[in-house]
Amino acid sequence: MLEFLSRRLAAALVTLALATVVVFAVVEVLPGDPALVMLGTDARPDTLAALRAEYGFDQPLAVRYFRWIGGLLTFDLGSSHAYGTSVAKLIGDRLQVTLPLAALALCWAMLVAIPLGVFAAWKQGRPGDWGVMGFTQIGISIPNFWFGIVLVLLFAVTWQLFPAGGFPGWQDPLKSAHALVLPALSLSLGEIAILARVTRSAMLDTLREDYVRTARAKGAPERIVLFRHALRNALIPVTTVAGLIAGFLVAGAVIIESVFRLPGVGQLVYDSINNRDLIVIKNVVILFTILVLVVNLLVDLAYAFLDPRPRVRA
Amino acid sequence: MDVFSRRYLFGATGVLVALSAFGVEAWAETKDRLVIGMSLEPPMLDPTKNAAAAIREVTTPSIFESLGRIDRTGAIGPGLAESWSISEDGKEYLFKLRQGVKFHDGEPLDAAVVKFALDRLFAPDSTNPAKSLYTDIDKVEVVDPMTVKVTLKSPNSFLLYSLSLGDAGIMHPKTAATNDKNPIGTGPFMFKERKEGDSITLVKSPTYRDPGAIKLNTVIFRIVKDPSAQVNALLAGDVDAFPGFQAPELVDRLRKDPRFVVVVGTTEGEVILATNNGKKPFDNLKVRQAIALAINRDELISAESGFGVPIGSHFAPHNKAYVDLTKTYPFDIAKAKALLAEAGYPNGFDASLKLPPVGYAQRAGEVIASQLGKIGIKVAITQLQWPQWLSEVFKERNYDLTIVAHTEANDLDRYARDGYYWGYDSPEFKAKWREVVAATDFAKRDALLKDAQRIVARDAVNGFLFQLAKIGVWKKDLVGLWENSPTPQIDLTGVYWK
Repeated sequence: MLEFLSRRLAAALVTLALATVVVFAVVEVLPGDPALVMLGTDARPDTLAALRAEYGFDQPLAVRYFRWIGGLLTFDLGSSHAYGTSVAKLIGDRLQVTLPLAALALCWAMLVAIPLGVFAAWKQGRPGDWGVMGFTQIGISIPNFWFGIVLVLLFAVTWQLFPAGGFPGWQDPLKSAHALVLPALSLSLGEIAILARVTRSAMLDTLREDYVRTARAKGAPERIVLFRHALRNALIPVTTVAGLIAGFLVAGAVIIESVFRLPGVGQLVYDSINNRDLIVIKNVVILFTILVLVVNLLVDLAYAFLDPRPRVRA
Repeated sequence: MDVFSRRYLFGATGVLVALSAFGVEAWAETKDRLVIGMSLEPPMLDPTKNAAAAIREVTTPSIFESLGRIDRTGAIGPGLAESWSISEDGKEYLFKLRQGVKFHDGEPLDAAVVKFALDRLFAPDSTNPAKSLYTDIDKVEVVDPMTVKVTLKSPNSFLLYSLSLGDAGIMHPKTAATNDKNPIGTGPFMFKERKEGDSITLVKSPTYRDPGAIKLNTVIFRIVKDPSAQVNALLAGDVDAFPGFQAPELVDRLRKDPRFVVVVGTTEGEVILATNNGKKPFDNLKVRQAIALAINRDELISAESGFGVPIGSHFAPHNKAYVDLTKTYPFDIAKAKALLAEAGYPNGFDASLKLPPVGYAQRAGEVIASQLGKIGIKVAITQLQWPQWLSEVFKERNYDLTIVAHTEANDLDRYARDGYYWGYDSPEFKAKWREVVAATDFAKRDALLKDAQRIVARDAVNGFLFQLAKIGVWKKDLVGLWENSPTPQIDLTGVYWK
């Protein structure tokens, strides 16, 4: 087990090191001059040069790369050029919105999708199955931002049950959770559809297994057969996909945050790209790389827990 | 009446009083609090360090004030300077400062502070985005604690205007360095808190010189970028006002709603089909004239939003020095084709149209492409992000055509600049502009400005399309917001709830 873990950890660290190079390169080749973005069309060349020197944009690439890595290693993320505030604070504030949003959406997706998938597999080829499959087809096809706008029109504008957007901060957790309900719903729609389909096909595979037939033959009730015997093994592919979805949720949050005016990390990246706030983009992207690596590591662990085979091989 | 019922009566009265007090308080709370929706988020909060218009909207004149003050008509009145005098030769300005002005941290305003703030504008290491407006200043001197003398190298008839902009906001030496995240000025409102990406909160300043004049206690600027989210925020009551509403196609819906008023006003934004005069075939006057003749402004404006006002030169129609030049090259496809043939392009040519990511450019771009297509100019549209537009089009001049609004006031001077992105180089215009800048007699200056507009229109430097409208939407009982936008600022001093 320990060897399995350390091998995974080493692979994650190598991935991270490579990611810093890629992220740095991509951010640096972004067309557009940050100084020009800040100072606008009236700026004189000498003013632009002064600003570039002030922020170190005129330094060689290697110097800038190692300065950034040095900062990362000492947990000094620097200051945003656009906002003037510390990048760590900026990201920290935004994570308080995006992480709960993504977590809520993921929980919601799993809560709805897994029972739906099990139900569809159980009713395979019958109207119940068609209903679920039809729903997932729609769920995959509907853009989540459009669904979000519809939710706002219904629940916020017409019935006034939820706020139309914005985030009140975490002083009042109930109010904050309230503000995240609609965004999490619209964010999870596509993921529910995908997860339900994966659950259904995984369940269909396991339901064909001999041990399920054995369980049925010995007279186990259908509920036990479905949930204790079949689902437990079907969860292995479902967990892998749920882990992958966590990454997509964060990416999808960029659009959903804009629809619901949530000051989350997605909006921060979007704004920083528009402001050419290079230091913020670099640090956010690396942070998410780390996050995805950690999630994958956790998925590997869960995998090992659900299925003993990788442990044995390791 | 027995004791029990008396107690009951007292209790009931108490509850009633408490309820009504609560009601009044709740009422008072909403009546001195204003939530303003913003389409763009200000990056930092210091207008002397970054060019973004949104910074000026939030900070000028609410937080930072300048020597002069631009009013709702675009005229300049006293700001932190209560009066000024200009020498005969137009080179010396004597500013008399207002008494009793304090910064939000209690520091008093005096001539030394003003000298510090003005010196920053044109210092060699200045990173002020509008530094070029102030480089005619030779020196700034403290005459006495309440008087400042500004001496120019050469007369500049725009100096008072330039010194009234947010770019010349008066800042204290103690706090100037940190104003980007914690702005401290002399204005009626002081900065309370900011949630990046969400909102900026200002509260009434206790150090303001005339606290009775300010009716609002709290002003929240809330960032709502998406146009449909803007409508939802208004309908759901999350935002009271959108001074710069960004979705003209949704205006009709809000007009029908009795809770809101829609106010269409003017801006200083001339939307032009900027043309690369330095590049073939656009260096040929006949080609540019053909483009001008091919543009059908009425069709363009109704397709774009229906709110723009046609322009024939680079000048705002509401300015008193404006001259209507829309008939210089009236819409005429046959004549446009003939001119193209004369210029050696009987079959037209290919051209790139690089569009910035703003609504008016996106909407107008399609129409312009189709209108130019009718005279044989095959336009290929490319979409750019702002930073790309700034680098590729503005800085490197790697473009044929683009559509953009020039939103600064008095920006006709761009045609006199060397190396500007249009590549227009006219000794005649440059000479004329030198006269404009040197004219300290404003009547004479207006006459010269008209000549300058005519030169630019005649040379068809760019396609002159329309003046951008300012669409404001706010609650019916809100009074005092500017209907026009003579400069990108939101003056809240006269704003109150009915």
